Amino acid sequence: MAREVNVRSIVAPVLSILFLCALIELGAGKVFEEMQEYFTTLLPGLIVMVPPLLGLRGNINGALASRLGTALNAGLIEPRLTLSAEIKVNLASSLILSIIASATIGVFAFGVNLLTSTPTIGVLELMVKLIAIAVFAGFLSGLILALLTVFVAVTSYARGWDPDNITSPTMATVGDFVTIACIYLAVLLVV
Amino acid sequence: MAVYSVKRIVLESFPVLTAGIIIALAAGYMLNSSIKKIAELPMILMMIPPINGLGGNIGSILGARLTSALHLGTLEPRLRGQLVLRKNMAASALVSFIIFSLTGAIFFAIAYASGIPIARSLSLALAFFIAGIALTAAVIFVTIASAFVSFRGGLDPDNVVIPIVTSIGDVLGVTCLLVAITIVGV
Repeated sequence: MAREVNVRSIVAPVLSILFLCALIELGAGKVFEEMQEYFTTLLPGLIVMVPPLLGLRGNINGALASRLGTALNAGLIEPRLTLSAEIKVNLASSLILSIIASATIGVFAFGVNLLTSTPTIGVLELMVKLIAIAVFAGFLSGLILALLTVFVAVTSYARGWDPDNITSPTMATVGDFVTIACIYLAVLLVV
Repeated sequence: MAVYSVKRIVLESFPVLTAGIIIALAAGYMLNSSIKKIAELPMILMMIPPINGLGGNIGSILGARLTSALHLGTLEPRLRGQLVLRKNMAASALVSFIIFSLTGAIFFAIAYASGIPIARSLSLALAFFIAGIALTAAVIFVTIASAFVSFRGGLDPDNVVIPIVTSIGDVLGVTCLLVAITIVGV
């Protein structure tokens, strides 16, 4: 058999990467906890859109990373840090998706709030604030993470790392931290 | 000729992203419903990113390993007599036991250091650990099911398994945590 499956050989590398992820996620959790007052009193209903924004980030960047990995393996993209036409198209698509999908999250979160609770501020104000926070946080985190994904995909491919085991989990985790930080920044600016 | 087109990527991705958004809104709604408990115990918020992140990573790594094994032919999409599957499940379970124990211990330390009484700090850490183990069981099940079903259906599991596992994992992570906190009675 080409590849012997051995429990210990899986556990050791996976544990070290997961421990690093746990530490970064704890940082993300700390920022999330700091925002507690906004969720409970300053802008009730805001918390509804945090899981979708985090999930969206992972999905857009995961797909970007997977397209880049395929393109690198197929030789469509050179493993160098230059903004080639193919990389530009991939970046532009991710940013356009970030804006459209974040606005969708803002609208849906507003809808959930309207259906399930009595808003403490004006309906129009709630809608504008939720959509503004979603789009600002979604676009900013999208921009930072799309550039980071290109950087990580290209450099890790150039070094011969397996993206399945290293790049994807690391990017997903860093993505959570950057996204929560961007949501906090958006909330500070908007509320 | 350009291989990628912005229009094609955007149009193909948007439906999948919207499905993910709707699933994740359920997690957001559950958090909003528990807002009184969160106001009383804000540390619950700090536990959300770690449990979702770890659950998602455990599922993604298992998913990546299973899909590679399916492609290589060292694994067949059925449950009986699959040594590769059993070893991968055992590795995921062991990894999850260790990592949720460690993270639970860190939460105990943070809770105790922030002035929460020792008994309550312990039950918070215990709730996190129980939620993590329950989440792992669910994530392993969803990962294997989506890998096998997509492979049998002729789809490339590389494109299907990870988005499914991370989206469902986020909702299950919040659910497991809120249920565990209620059961332990923090």
